[in-house]
Amino acid sequence: MNDWWWVSTVAFGIGLGTPLAFATIGEIITERAGILNLGVQGTMLVGAVAGFWATFNTGSLFLGVITAIVAGAAVSIIHAVLSITLRVNQIVSGLALTLFGTGLASFLGKVGSDPLVGEPSRATFEPIIEGGIAEWPLVGPLVLGHDILVYVGVVTAAAASYYLFRSKLGLAVRAVGEDPASAESAGINVSRVRYIHVLIGGSLSGLGGAYFALALVPTWQDDPIGAAGWIAIALVILASWRPWRALFVAYAFGFAQFLELRLQTLGEPWNGIPSTLLAMIPFVLAIIAMIVFASGKRARFLGAPAALGIPYFREQR
Amino acid sequence: MTSPTLAVELEGISKAFYGVHANADVDFELRWGEVHTLLGENGAGKSTLCSILAGLYRPDSGTFEYDGSEQSFKSPKDALAAGIGMVYQHFRLVSNLTVAENLALGHPDVPLRISQRDLERQASELGDRYGLPVDPSARIWQLSVGEQQRVEILKLLYRNVRILILDEPTAVLTPVEAEQLFTTMRQMADEGRSVIFVSHKLHEVKAVSDRVTVLRGGRHVGTVNTADAEAKDLARMMVGHDLVLSQRTGDDVSGDPMLSVRDLRVNSDRGLEAVAGMSFDVRAGEVLGVAGVSGNGQRELAYAIVGLRKPTSGTITLDGADITNDTVLEHTDAGIAYVPQSRLGMGLAPGLTTEDNLALKAFRRPPYSRGPWLTRSAFLERGAKQIKEYDIRGVRPGLPIRLLSGGNLQKALIAREVSLNPKVLIARSPTRGLDVGATDAVRQHVLNERSKGTAVLLISEDLDELLALSDRLIVLYEGKIVGEMRAEEATAEKLGLLMGGTGGEH
Amino acid sequence: MAGRRLIVEPRGLASPLLLVMVPLASVFAALVLGAIFLALTGENPGEVYGKMVDAAFGDGRGISETLISATPLILTGLAAAVAFKMLVWNIGAEGQFLFGAIFAAGAGIWLGDGTPAAIAMPLVIVAGAIGGAFWASFAAVPRVYLGTNEIITTLMLNFIALNFMNYLIFGSNSPWRDPGVSTFPQGRPVPDAARIPEFFNRLDYGIIIAAFIAIAVYVLMDKSRWGFEVRVVGDSAETGRYAGIGVPRKILGVFLLSGALAGLGGSLFVAGPVGALDPRSLDLGLGFTGIIVAALARLNPLAIVPVAVLMGALNNSGPALQSIGVPPETVTMLQGAILIFAVAGEFFIANRVRRPELEPTGSSAAEAAA
Repeated sequence: MNDWWWVSTVAFGIGLGTPLAFATIGEIITERAGILNLGVQGTMLVGAVAGFWATFNTGSLFLGVITAIVAGAAVSIIHAVLSITLRVNQIVSGLALTLFGTGLASFLGKVGSDPLVGEPSRATFEPIIEGGIAEWPLVGPLVLGHDILVYVGVVTAAAASYYLFRSKLGLAVRAVGEDPASAESAGINVSRVRYIHVLIGGSLSGLGGAYFALALVPTWQDDPIGAAGWIAIALVILASWRPWRALFVAYAFGFAQFLELRLQTLGEPWNGIPSTLLAMIPFVLAIIAMIVFASGKRARFLGAPAALGIPYFREQR
Repeated sequence: MTSPTLAVELEGISKAFYGVHANADVDFELRWGEVHTLLGENGAGKSTLCSILAGLYRPDSGTFEYDGSEQSFKSPKDALAAGIGMVYQHFRLVSNLTVAENLALGHPDVPLRISQRDLERQASELGDRYGLPVDPSARIWQLSVGEQQRVEILKLLYRNVRILILDEPTAVLTPVEAEQLFTTMRQMADEGRSVIFVSHKLHEVKAVSDRVTVLRGGRHVGTVNTADAEAKDLARMMVGHDLVLSQRTGDDVSGDPMLSVRDLRVNSDRGLEAVAGMSFDVRAGEVLGVAGVSGNGQRELAYAIVGLRKPTSGTITLDGADITNDTVLEHTDAGIAYVPQSRLGMGLAPGLTTEDNLALKAFRRPPYSRGPWLTRSAFLERGAKQIKEYDIRGVRPGLPIRLLSGGNLQKALIAREVSLNPKVLIARSPTRGLDVGATDAVRQHVLNERSKGTAVLLISEDLDELLALSDRLIVLYEGKIVGEMRAEEATAEKLGLLMGGTGGEH
Repeated sequence: MAGRRLIVEPRGLASPLLLVMVPLASVFAALVLGAIFLALTGENPGEVYGKMVDAAFGDGRGISETLISATPLILTGLAAAVAFKMLVWNIGAEGQFLFGAIFAAGAGIWLGDGTPAAIAMPLVIVAGAIGGAFWASFAAVPRVYLGTNEIITTLMLNFIALNFMNYLIFGSNSPWRDPGVSTFPQGRPVPDAARIPEFFNRLDYGIIIAAFIAIAVYVLMDKSRWGFEVRVVGDSAETGRYAGIGVPRKILGVFLLSGALAGLGGSLFVAGPVGALDPRSLDLGLGFTGIIVAALARLNPLAIVPVAVLMGALNNSGPALQSIGVPPETVTMLQGAILIFAVAGEFFIANRVRRPELEPTGSSAAEAAA
């Protein structure tokens, strides 16, 4: 099996990449509607604690996931109200959400006489197929040996892609993100579209957070997701605002993260590469991609919504 | 195709914005199957009337009948659903989407699942039928302005509107494109639809429309059959005669040329040649009026003289020194002052105080600053003096200047520019949007500069203003000077014809 | 046209009372929200808040620790304020702070023990400013010359800086790592000569330096020609161009100044209470908290000082909560809530909301709506 170490690394990478894929696709949907949400990190953490708490109390993974989705949508209302209705600067608003969400998640994990922190989850996501075909070479670990949420991730990418690029509603979303004034004159309610897609983005972030708490590190700890929310924001650019690409850059990133750990176990010369330097790679790539592909007017060609981050004032006279 | 009822009948329509009448008691009727021109100068109320028809505004009073029954649209969406659509001067297209997607956007009958292929087929069929060829799979930003306009029209045809309103559609078109558009307009009218065409280019009005309604100062001046009207009659109706404001007095000056422009060529933002070889002089103590419909190179001409844009060729000489390629700062220091058209967009920093704005060009020198440090007291003292001298009202300590009224903004802008003691003052549409009192004050300032010996370049679309203030006039059309005359020889009719590109006697 | 909806229109001049009341009200609202959370989870809000006040201001030690926490926040707050004022969205104060710390510690280690304090201390502090500006330049130069969105680049640079610092201490035998300690890696101490002296418990003169820098930034922005040009360009780049101001150079200058200020935060922290490039003391999100400080202070450099003290007090009071069984993250939650209410309040400072029945009268209303 040692010869196949990279197969299992890829397989683990898919697992590690799945929560990133959820959050990245969520943020793509939000940004396509013209709202930059820097609250992904906080939203994921709230989703993580909510999902863990629900599963911890009910034993049901399904209820955990649903709670995480609802919680993610609920906290992103904060960003929606601030940035859409009150037209507050989206950067400050998103950071406020992250700060609040981070604090809230830790607080909820530790508060009370019987805190969650340190507790193992009562149920965790396991591969849906054990043994048998799941042990076939290559196809088994890479395609068949995952838990259900990995497949939900693939379906989410497909659905998001279809929704944004093939449906009438998706057309409206893209129009709102590009040019809200024109969209409004074509009869589209800009604020409503933006609210809905901030909430959709938030619910996917919440789901991503729950995947950490219920599958990857199924014991509640203070910071179960690392910098996943921030990474998702970078991945949106690397995915050039397209859900399918988001899935693959998220997997690639998961692979790179797992590779970091893996290299340490492989002996000379691999273990000589410091993990701290490897951890920089996605961020460096995101910056290079930004500069090379998304500078100035080129951002438009890449897919960056033109009205991203700009509050919309309905024409008044 | 005739119909017993009128397409639209407006009676006694009035619309005021904060007490200023944009439309006052306007009557207007539109027949099915006609191309009907709305003619008038800027601020005559054409756009407001169109916006009422298109559901963007609701009239304060008056009745609006559409196809025989009374209407009150709540939004453009309602009007569109009823069959009235408008192509605005600023296109409402999403530039990163394809032509076909723009047609489908917000359309009630498009299915939830979009088939790009079906959409594109429908779009190109529609384009073929109306002589509006455009690649349906192209993204908007890839198209020329003329093609984008076709998409706007297709958008309305795709929604099967019965009345199309085109707000100054030819302003952005080449003559050939304009001809194509006229063919399309005729075709739509022949099908029984009605077209409202907003313009102030007289030759186009003559070429395309069945009837003309002339507006002036928000009021209905008259409606005539195009065939019965001479261009000069229309020009007179459009301009009117009501000169009560300050005007030039005294003899012509014969000072030396202060500003000389030779063979100047300047590109527009889009990289097209907007100033196509202009030469003229402005003498000290002279007001040279520049007439022309906006978009014929005025903006780029002003930018080049001010130093905001490098000409592609030609020279600009100020008092004998070549300043063609100098920076803005060097132009300012050399004595060029500029009152831009957009007060809050360019002339003033909207969020800063009036005192700060008054110092915006002189702050680098004493008394405003010494070395790297500002002298705040000088800002306040000088500011207070100018506020008083130029009668700028509504200033409060710390108040951002954007909250002053248009007239006071313009007074502040002029105060700052004039207090530089410039050799040349360039003013673009300085009284646009101002009430009578403020207009007169601004005119007075321009004339004061003239008597102080400043060379004034007055770029305006307001013919009254040009005739009242200028010593000499030049007329721009498509980046070239198509006419030049002494003020005494000029009339509104003559200028109107030249501005419309109808050569006149030249 | 507005129909039944409430009419929102820009307010001309917000009264000074409003400018003070809105931030205070947002702090109050956040405390109320926090109290609700605490009560719902079975804690006694009064006890918790009492404990926090006690920990932050209860004795000399508390006050000195609060001011120690406030020092870097003043600098990162200034960094955000200077940049945001010009619509430069530098959210990389975190990374610039860390690079300031890296440069400062590096300078101190390089100078070694023999250098007199009069030379070492200023050099170390200035090295931090250079480090911050250096790190900001990776986002500033692409922004100014290529038009690259700085929000994402500065954000990414934060994580690169964090990993780089970890690399210097945990991942390599760099000069920043203390060679004497092998069990758990830590930063090599900077020489005593480079350390800023303490004057009240653990409190060093860094707080005084920070306050002076806040005044200097205020003077620079408000009283200098350069600051005036920055304000013009920040208000309207087009007007700046028209007035002959070199817009790209102004943006670059502001961006680098912002980075330098954040970097100074790093050097004051290293030369002050920390004394080494210590990842555990530096990775506290001080750059992000600086953005809250700037937002609460409404980007006013002088208001940043008291706001930073408030935030420092909150940061400082967190650990004390553990003694009564309340999670210290309560403080982070409160900070987030304060920021949420503060930015929401911004809307009510900038706009007046009224019912549509009252038709506006007079020219100021007409202009406000135009």
